[in-house]
Amino acid sequence: MLKVENLHASVGDKEILRGINLEVKAGEVHAIMGPNGSGKSTLASVLAGNEKFTVTAGEVTFMGENLLELPIEERARKGLFLGFQYPVEIPGVSMANFMKIAVNEKRKYEGLEPLTAAEFLRLMREKSAVVELDSKLTARAVNEGFSGGEKKKNEIFQMAMLEPKLSILDETDSGLDIDALRIVATGVTRLKTAENATVVITHYQRLLDYIVPDFVHVLYKGRIIYSGDKSLALKLEKEGYDWLINDYKE
Amino acid sequence: MTIEQMIESGALRLFEGGVIDGSVDTSLPLIALNAKRLNAKVAEGLSVRLVVAYTESCQSVVEIDIAQGASVEIVEVYLADSYANITINQAEDSQCKTLSALLSSSNATYTYQLNGRNASNTFDGLFIAIGADHATLNLTTRHLVSDCASRSLIKGVSADRATGEFHGLVYVAPDAQRTDAQQQNRNIELDNSHIVALPQLEIYADDVRCSHGSTVGYSDAEAIFYMRQRGISEADARRLQIEGFVQDVVSRCNVEPVCCLVAEAVTDKLSKI
Amino acid sequence: MKENNNDIITSLESKEYEYGFTTDIETETLPKGLNEGIVRAISEKKGEPEWMMEYRLKAFRHWQTMSLPTWAHLDIPDIDFQDIIYYAEPKPKKKLGSMDEVDPELKRTFDKLGIPLEEQMALAGVAVDAVMDSVSVKTTFRETLAEKGIIFCSISEAIREYPELVRKYLGSVVSYADNFYSALNAAVFSDGSFCYIPKGVRCPMELSTYFRINAKGTGQFERTLIVADEGSYVSYLEGCTAPQRDENQLHAAVVEIVVENNAEVKYSTVQNWYPGDKEGKGGVYNFVTKRGLCRENARLSWTQVETGSAITWKYPSCVLAGDNSVGEFYSVAMTNNYQQADTGTKMIHLGRNTRSRIVSKGISAGRSQNSYRGLVKIAPKAENARNYSQCDSLLIGDKCGAHTFPHIDCRNKTAMLEHEATTSKISEDQLFYCNQRGISTEDAVGLIVNGYAKEVLAKLPMEFAVEAQKLLAISLEGSVG
Repeated sequence: MLKVENLHASVGDKEILRGINLEVKAGEVHAIMGPNGSGKSTLASVLAGNEKFTVTAGEVTFMGENLLELPIEERARKGLFLGFQYPVEIPGVSMANFMKIAVNEKRKYEGLEPLTAAEFLRLMREKSAVVELDSKLTARAVNEGFSGGEKKKNEIFQMAMLEPKLSILDETDSGLDIDALRIVATGVTRLKTAENATVVITHYQRLLDYIVPDFVHVLYKGRIIYSGDKSLALKLEKEGYDWLINDYKE
Repeated sequence: MTIEQMIESGALRLFEGGVIDGSVDTSLPLIALNAKRLNAKVAEGLSVRLVVAYTESCQSVVEIDIAQGASVEIVEVYLADSYANITINQAEDSQCKTLSALLSSSNATYTYQLNGRNASNTFDGLFIAIGADHATLNLTTRHLVSDCASRSLIKGVSADRATGEFHGLVYVAPDAQRTDAQQQNRNIELDNSHIVALPQLEIYADDVRCSHGSTVGYSDAEAIFYMRQRGISEADARRLQIEGFVQDVVSRCNVEPVCCLVAEAVTDKLSKI
Repeated sequence: MKENNNDIITSLESKEYEYGFTTDIETETLPKGLNEGIVRAISEKKGEPEWMMEYRLKAFRHWQTMSLPTWAHLDIPDIDFQDIIYYAEPKPKKKLGSMDEVDPELKRTFDKLGIPLEEQMALAGVAVDAVMDSVSVKTTFRETLAEKGIIFCSISEAIREYPELVRKYLGSVVSYADNFYSALNAAVFSDGSFCYIPKGVRCPMELSTYFRINAKGTGQFERTLIVADEGSYVSYLEGCTAPQRDENQLHAAVVEIVVENNAEVKYSTVQNWYPGDKEGKGGVYNFVTKRGLCRENARLSWTQVETGSAITWKYPSCVLAGDNSVGEFYSVAMTNNYQQADTGTKMIHLGRNTRSRIVSKGISAGRSQNSYRGLVKIAPKAENARNYSQCDSLLIGDKCGAHTFPHIDCRNKTAMLEHEATTSKISEDQLFYCNQRGISTEDAVGLIVNGYAKEVLAKLPMEFAVEAQKLLAISLEGSVG
């Protein structure tokens, strides 16, 4: 589904990704871990097409196409979803209107008719139940005045609405209390199928108790320096990163 | 529904000026349509909703006296190129709340005189200038006595070759102590248009809380990225953002059924960008 | 508590002007009044070349067609421009060879001012071009500067010695036709400073000019021209004081700065001209035009502390013509008694990626009026221009006024401009807190005002910052307890 080869990216003169290799197949869950500043969020942003970063080398194929050539919205319509670490507030733009445009753009891309107002509302109701999102929030402006937990639930709600093929969740667990974490994580698990895939970026093992990864990768200084199965996350939780990164310290 | 239809259907009551006291039925909003001259006196303690609309080009002078304890909610909408001068005098404990939407090549000058203590004033203004429009909103809030409060929010959008201007002045007279006056002005400039903003403060009393802010342009990269990541095209994302930008002014309208009309007129105007 | 403060505010006497003294030295003056003859006489006295006299005459003729600007928030009494002496020169007893030969009276004046003109200046690392009543008396450190190719001399000397440089740049940033006072200055300027920093040179010391109006009934019309050639750097200090006089004195200076590609200029001013007495009698009328032109990647920073003058009309500005150039304006303007100040800046963005920052702190006390007036203009081709303006006003007492008149004019959609202003008074809570810790109200106000102005004061070179802090406290005395 996703194949990343030797990906290099920088912001300004500063190289942040220094040769990433990663392959994600349908049905898989990958976790990317690593200390602060190792480039985890940058990887997510670059895959989504954030123009703040410049790709300097490497290739990325997604669903058999060169991902790097596609504009941001086309990557999204093709089924790449990024759950933001810090979801942006968009004053005055209602959640309902925002989602309606997003859903119908995707349908248009797939050659489907747009949803009618009634169909759309039904879908909203159904999907907001997935993450126990207060239906009042969908009447408000996008993320405006949402609490930290509500913002993260809102990301998963949008994921449910858009039914992506590949979801990259960037520190979706940060800033959540234990209840919100459970709700968000079970939401993600419920959306899991054999046809889609998930990449979870996280600092903590605790999210992985709910979303059990098939692979765990350690990102350090812009490279994946180690990969393993779910036991790696437990080991990292206990022992930290030092045993891994000592060899790479400058 | 147009304004004319609202009048015909009895949703608004035509008003040509004069004293508004107990003898006038104020259960419905009053409307002055394309009035060249409008003088009104709102009697003590009354609550009045007043719509002033320009659907054809007009030069207009409006003067409203708000007596002690009275409260007036005004919606002014400029659908046709007009030149209007509005003076509102507020007595003690009076309240005045204005929503003004300049959706044409209009020039509107508002002067609020806070003559009585504890008067409160709220002004929400919006101008959208597109094509060759030149929209100018002048707002002077004069705190002439102590203990009055004023809040204003003015949002401007200009596009194409248009010019949008905001001239604001908060004046605090000597001895108008404990004045609380805040004014915010936000503008978005598109294409080859032109924004002029002069938010001014003139203050002659010391125990005051006065502030103003004015911006042109805003950082939108993150919000645009967010929307595009959800599959929304860049053009749609920008349009949504501008609609959102004016939304908070539009949503402060509180005089139905005119608010729907204002909201539609704003959406309609923005669709021409 | 509150009444107590008000009592103190109203009861205290004004602090007398510390620098109010006159120097008794012979001066040579031209007769009062202004006509082509006077303009020619000034030019002749200074031994100027023909082109310079022509420039002055053109300016004078243009000035005659102009009228006084009236847009400022100032109440300016009628000024009789024919009742002013346009040229006064301290008569040198003989040609000066060394420091010992400087008129002892003059030296005493400088000592009273605290200008470190003598040997200790070497330690202070300050070169001073002292301008007293219009003619540069003594310039120090010329040799040190000359080694680096830096020219720092009086403008009269520059006109004689470096005519090609002066001719190239004089009037290139502030045209004589710019405004009424710039035209007047161009016609009659008597002296001032000239500074040229060659390509790639970093000026090793702060350059400083100390202006002082001395002779009775004289106007002072300095002309300053600073040229920072490509990749150079200079920090320039200007300090101004004037003796105490009952009648009003006119001061109309022009400062022009050219900041070539990749160069940087910092221009700091501490202005404490005589502000008049506490009844508003006397004081300097200060009408100044200051402007700098920034080429590519150039940076110009204006910092001013304005505590003096009866009337201040002054807008140090930046024309950001080159791409990526940066303009800054940091100002503290304090007015007390009957002083009036209308000051601010203009940031004219012409080039791409140009940035400007404005921080203005106004402090009004007594019966004074203090206005910030600013223009931020974004030209159609100024892609990605950025401006941030913060204009705060502090009121001390209920008889003064604090005003903010910003003007934003934007013609490029990629610009991001932000202006914020607040007006407030010193809070009772702050005063109470200080009082409770045993600090007198007077000291507390001094502390609070200095804290309020800190962001600007921090931009001043060290020795100036100390002086400016003292000035703020001195200027406030008599306005609060």
